Amino acid sequence: MSIATTTRAARSGARKPKPPFFHRPPVVAAVFLLPFLALFVVFRVYAVGYAVVLSFQDIEGIGVSEWAGLDNYRRLLTDSTFLTALQNTALYTVGTLLILIPLPFVLAAVLRSKLVARQAMFRSAFFLPVLTSLVVVGVVFSLLLATNGLLNSFLGLFGVPEQGWLETRHLAVPAMIIMATWRWTGINIIYFTTGLSNIPNELYESASVDGAGPVRKFWHLSVPLSKPIILFVTVLTLFGGFQLFVEPLILWGTGGGPGQGGLSIVVHLYRTAFTSFQLGYASAIGVVLALIIMALSIVVLKLFGFFKKD
Amino acid sequence: MLALTRSRRPWLGSVPVFAVLALVAAGCAGEDGNSIAELEEGEDTERQAMEADPEHEGEDVELEFWTFVDAHTDFMMARAEEFNEQNSEYNIILDASTADFEEMHDRLLIALQSGSGAPDIVDIEIQRFATFLRGDVPLHPLTDLVDKHRDQLVEERTAPYQLDGVEYGIDYHLGTWVMYYNNEILEEAGVDVDSIVTWDDYIEAGEQVVENTDAAMTSIETTDRFSVLGLMLQNGGGTYNENNELILDSPENVEALQLISDMVHEHEIAEVAEGGMHHETSYYEALNDGAYASVWMPQWYVTRFKDFMPETEGNMLIRPLPEFESGEFISTMGGGTGTAITTQIDEDKLDAAKQFLEFAKLEYDSQVALWTELGFDPFRTDVYDDPALTEPDPWFGGEPVMTNLRDMFDRLAPEYTGPRYPEAIVQLRETVAYEVVEEGASPEEALRKATEEVEAMD
Repeated sequence: MSIATTTRAARSGARKPKPPFFHRPPVVAAVFLLPFLALFVVFRVYAVGYAVVLSFQDIEGIGVSEWAGLDNYRRLLTDSTFLTALQNTALYTVGTLLILIPLPFVLAAVLRSKLVARQAMFRSAFFLPVLTSLVVVGVVFSLLLATNGLLNSFLGLFGVPEQGWLETRHLAVPAMIIMATWRWTGINIIYFTTGLSNIPNELYESASVDGAGPVRKFWHLSVPLSKPIILFVTVLTLFGGFQLFVEPLILWGTGGGPGQGGLSIVVHLYRTAFTSFQLGYASAIGVVLALIIMALSIVVLKLFGFFKKD
Repeated sequence: MLALTRSRRPWLGSVPVFAVLALVAAGCAGEDGNSIAELEEGEDTERQAMEADPEHEGEDVELEFWTFVDAHTDFMMARAEEFNEQNSEYNIILDASTADFEEMHDRLLIALQSGSGAPDIVDIEIQRFATFLRGDVPLHPLTDLVDKHRDQLVEERTAPYQLDGVEYGIDYHLGTWVMYYNNEILEEAGVDVDSIVTWDDYIEAGEQVVENTDAAMTSIETTDRFSVLGLMLQNGGGTYNENNELILDSPENVEALQLISDMVHEHEIAEVAEGGMHHETSYYEALNDGAYASVWMPQWYVTRFKDFMPETEGNMLIRPLPEFESGEFISTMGGGTGTAITTQIDEDKLDAAKQFLEFAKLEYDSQVALWTELGFDPFRTDVYDDPALTEPDPWFGGEPVMTNLRDMFDRLAPEYTGPRYPEAIVQLRETVAYEVVEEGASPEEALRKATEEVEAMD
């Protein structure tokens, strides 16, 4: 007994003295994380959780609420405005995915190649739209997309007849995609440039030795080796697409666009909450939107083989 | 009032709003997550506060006022100064904030729902007013103020801001609906403007215009409500009737919409407005360049001619709307903003606020100022004899425009609003007009669908 005690005492005596409380790594970590965690829990976790609770309630008018069970979700299935919004949003997302992944990727590759002088200048130019105030963007695009606007004049050079971009139902989503392309190409170029610069130069050099041209190097080296960054940008674009809100608001003021061709899910959510003041139903729309985004993200991750063990 | 939010659990009331905001915020965040911040750029609230006058003998009463129109701030500031000059009991110190339309209304809703942060006096636009009349109404009744002046008022203008016969808001204008004719084009086409009395005459004149000039007779909005709502109301329809019943698919509305559809598709005298609405820069340009011989819009549209369409000076003439049937309505009212007092005002300020609101909105001199300062048509009839309102207007053919306007008041169709007015307007603005005008849908079908959409809300 006494021997054992002595040994333990000797062992503990050999250890370093305990650091002061605030110097212990777990405590330090907790202190640094706490402000973020507190804000995150209060303004995100709690709010989102409460929204889920709200989605089972019927709230309309100030100070009026009652439990509604699944009524809000049932209503969603028959809400033709929601279905219109879902369709518009899905089309917009597909459109942005088809443009905002390949275009910036090719541009990023070109900007990295020796084909282009003053690469930094071009990158900054492409990035500028991201920094431009949305109010300005709204005004500029109203003029650009007007029937007698710049885009129609440009298309006219190729014999394309004048289009009412902002006045035609089926052109509302393309109009928003045009705007999104202008706004987001720059930031995606930055992501892809970062991805491309992580690919070791030796690989390109050895490919050159093997006789690969720029196109083959791009296709067989740059593309496969950028898979993680392409996945990242795809998921971000997917989020951005389904959360479409600002574009329709600044193009059409009220958010619906011609014949509700520009109505997005989030605009519908926003109007349900703040014009109709049906906070319960608006929450249900939000919950369903979150589920849609989550499901699609999982599908994308699966397609990219994210869950596979390498 | 606000039983849940105030007495029992004061902080819980704001929770639903925060939760929804979180969802909206999650929705708003763009790829870089900063869209909301960007959206607010350039739309910052503008604040303008009066200074206390130390020489005033009355009690200082600071009133917070929110609006979404700069000109309304100037108007209310000027009225506050006049009020203080004439009133010895209170010295009103107005603290006015102007924010973007949506932002102001959303903030107000949040403040009223959460039980704190709302202003004392606030402008609520007609399209959003009904939202605030659901549940426990967070606004103070103003019936006693209106009653004092009721015999002088165009009573129809008080209807949109009522719930169960109680007034909750007071407007800035009447918004008399008129036809603006470009007389230069009509003369070129050989049309005498005063020969147009009925809609049939109007269509006939339109055919002459299209045949003899490069202009179309008129333009129709497809992404706003004015073109369709104006004629629906004039024909005795609209969104609600006086019994608070939704009448979106009433025969009167169908007839009015059919008339518009015929003008576009059958007679080909009307075209879709540039940009789909009468408030687009490209439309102002077209109207300025003489692309249209006429357009029906409320009286307040005169300011658009003067501000944005310099070429129309002297050429425009204002007339009543052509009539559907002899002796029926020749006008109605369009747009509107009700100024209200919220229930969050301190009890001891309420009397001062009510006195001030009555002074600023209903007294004779203030109603004259509605015209002289804002260019709006007052809704107090006796001011139309005031020299300021009987003056001829050179921009509009040198005619006494306001005097002519008054002659329409006994044939003015009222506008009633109801609980789903905002949603009904969204339907008119975004789907009904578009489907009928652009896609040639049947008016009856379009209005039936719109009615179903609105009814599905409940």
